[in-house]
This record gives sequence, C-alpha cells and structure tokens, in this order.
Amino acid sequence: MAEVSDQKTPKSKKSMSMTATPATRVLATVSVGASLVLLLLALIVSPADVVQGDAVRMLYIHVPSIWVAYGSFGLTACTSGLFILRYKRRADRGRHYDRIAGAAAEVGVVFTGITLFSGMLWGKVTWGSYWQWDARLTTTVLLFVTYLGYLALRRLPADPGVRAKRAAIMALVSFVNVPIVHFSVDWWRTLHQKASLSVGRRPEITGDMYWTLMYSALTFTFVATWLMIHRYRVIRLEEMRDEEMLQQQLRERRSENSL
Amino acid sequence: MDLSPRHEIDDQDKFRRDQLKSRRTKVYFAALILVVAGGFVAIQGLRNATLFFRNVDEAIIERVDLGERRFRLQGKVIPGTVLNDEGVTVFEIVHECEVAKVRHITDPPELFSSPWIPVVLEGRWTKGAVENINGRDSYYFLSDRMLVKHTNEYVSVNEERLEQPVPDDAAMSCEFLSDLREES
Repeated sequence: MAEVSDQKTPKSKKSMSMTATPATRVLATVSVGASLVLLLLALIVSPADVVQGDAVRMLYIHVPSIWVAYGSFGLTACTSGLFILRYKRRADRGRHYDRIAGAAAEVGVVFTGITLFSGMLWGKVTWGSYWQWDARLTTTVLLFVTYLGYLALRRLPADPGVRAKRAAIMALVSFVNVPIVHFSVDWWRTLHQKASLSVGRRPEITGDMYWTLMYSALTFTFVATWLMIHRYRVIRLEEMRDEEMLQQQLRERRSENSL
Repeated sequence: MDLSPRHEIDDQDKFRRDQLKSRRTKVYFAALILVVAGGFVAIQGLRNATLFFRNVDEAIIERVDLGERRFRLQGKVIPGTVLNDEGVTVFEIVHECEVAKVRHITDPPELFSSPWIPVVLEGRWTKGAVENINGRDSYYFLSDRMLVKHTNEYVSVNEERLEQPVPDDAAMSCEFLSDLREES
C-alpha cells in the first residue's frame, strides 16, 4: 500500500500529539473573550422583547447556531465537491478536502444540536410546547439525522479513498436539505415564525437586539472556526496513527517472512 | 514483499479481527437506528408539516367538510374578547376579517395575554349559537390545546411606539374592527 504522501514526518513527538498552534491559541482567546462579552450583551445590555419578555434572549443562541450550522454544511458540500473534482489530480488524493468536509460536518452537527435544543426550550416558553412536527422543525431534525448518518458513514471500515468518495457524494446529497430548512417557513405553513432577517428586507429586529444578534453570530463563527481547525488536525493525527499502525504491521510481517 | 495470509494466527490477530467485527456491528447498528429515525421523521413530516393549521376564514368555508374532525385553527386573538367562564377561556380570533368564537378548556400559555397574539388551537367545530364581534354564528371552536404563534418581529420594551397595535391585515379592511383601530 502506498504511503500517504501529504503526511510529513513530524518534527518531534510533541508536535504529533498536539493540535494547538500559536494561531489557534489566539483564536481560542478571542473566542472565549468574545463569548464573555456576548454573555454581558445578551443577558444585561440587550433589552427584553415587548411580547416575549426575557425569553427573547434565546435568540442569541438559537439563530447564530443555525447560521453557523448552515455555513459548516456549506463548507462540507464545497470541499466534498472539490474532492470529487480534484482527488485524482492531487498528490494527497484529496485527503485535505475530505478532512475539511469531515471537520466542518462535525461542527455543523454540534451547532444543529444546539439549535434544536435551544429551540425546544424557547418553544416551551413561547409556543407552550417543546416540540411540534411543523415543516421547519421536521426538516431541521431531518438535517440533523442526515448529517449524523454522514458522520457514521465516515466511520465505516473501508479503504480511505473509497470511504471519502462515498462520504463526499452523501455530503452533496445531504446539502439539498439546507435550503429546504431555510425556506420551509416561506414554502409551508409553520408554527415557527418567518425569518426576521432577509436580504433586501428591513430587519424585523430593533436596535440593541439586532446588534447583539450580529455580534453573537460573529462570536459563534470564531468558536466554530476554532473547533473546526482542531477537528481537522485530530482527523489528520488519526490518519497518521492508522498509517503508522499499518506500516508497523507490514514491518512485522516482513520480519516474519525473512526468518 | 509477501502479503499472503498467515497460516498461523496468533492471539493479537484474532483480537484485531474481533475488534474490527465489533466496531463494524456497532456502526451498522447505529446506521440502522439512523435509517429508522430518518424514516420516522420523514413520515411525521409528510403527515403534519405541509398543512400545519387552517386559518379562520378557510376553516369557516370548510366547516361542513370538517364536521367534527380535529384540526388546528389559526387566528389572532381580538383584545377585549377574552373572559373566563368557570375555568373555560372564551375569546375570539380573527383572520382575513372572519371571526371565530373559541372555548378553550385547558390553561393557555403565558404569552396568550399579549394583544393580537396569533394562536394555533387544536380542537373541533361544535354546534352552539354564539355571538361574536362580527355578528351571530351557529358554531364555536372547542379547543383543548393552544400554541402561541409569535411573529418574527422583535421590539424592545424600551420602544413605546407599539402598544396594542392592530395588525395590518386585520386593521386595513375589517369594518367591525374600526373601533379597536381608533382606540389603539
């Protein structure tokens, strides 16, 4: 079996076992700092809503979470498309794209989970029910389950190249649901309200609430990017470990045969 | 390099194979659960999602067809019509200038008290002469479940520009709501 050509020999054992770099440490610091400021803005500075009261503060978790999830799944789809188009031409057989797709999907699933959970809590306070099978909620949970399936597919034992190709196809198919989730409130009658922010339309959120939401989206993007970079590196380390184990087994076999 | 299978299998090999088999079984089991979950979600979605509720005007037109069937009814609560009748919340909802009298038998959610709040009610048409803001009717809606359908508008409590606003769709054309419009 050919060696994975993009895997450089690590400089030391320490560099092999760590996923942090000065850049990610800065990003982590920025993410934590931004999250603390967000807490202040969301819980103290931002006003309550005239109808929902303090329950509106869920907005600053629920909405940015799904935006980040959409972005992550979009990145998964883009890199999966690039994988399919370019894996034959690249020295690493497209592993780089596959890793980005995997890392982004994991982050997307986490943030979709946060969206669903925070939505349930918010729903109980405002609608009077944790869950209703309306079009928005149904398509969102379908999105969650589909990408869980995608992550399960990535764990199936198979040749890494074949597995990556299957995963890339599934990622592209799964992404079809993202616009369906987003536009479900416009296409069907739902209990879930329509989007408050749309391109070309005046925002339906006033003053400090709007800016807190924007700031929250930025903070969640920092956190997601930080998580994604680390997950990418962990996936790469796992591949290196697997490759090393294979090489070790081959060496053992060779030494047995030479006896 | 000879990569042919070994004739003698040591314990370590067996351990690795068993481990792989166990992992594969777990993954297949997880995949099965996901397929079943996906199927359940899709069925639920197809059944409920596309027509989650009927608006008041549609439910009145379809009254004969609906008969005593349970369905979800949506409309905005008209302020000033809410009263408590021995544990039953009685109120009127409007959509496209059509009004329905509602008798709701369970506790309404907290946000129900907000003026002009859109609600989705689960229940059925029931025969009974009633009087509502738009005149007389021979049916009322008997509801046992209420969901508050809040709008996509978020307004700070600090902004006093909106106090009991009559929603545009109702205020623009419904003659019988003109008094409420003037009051607000």
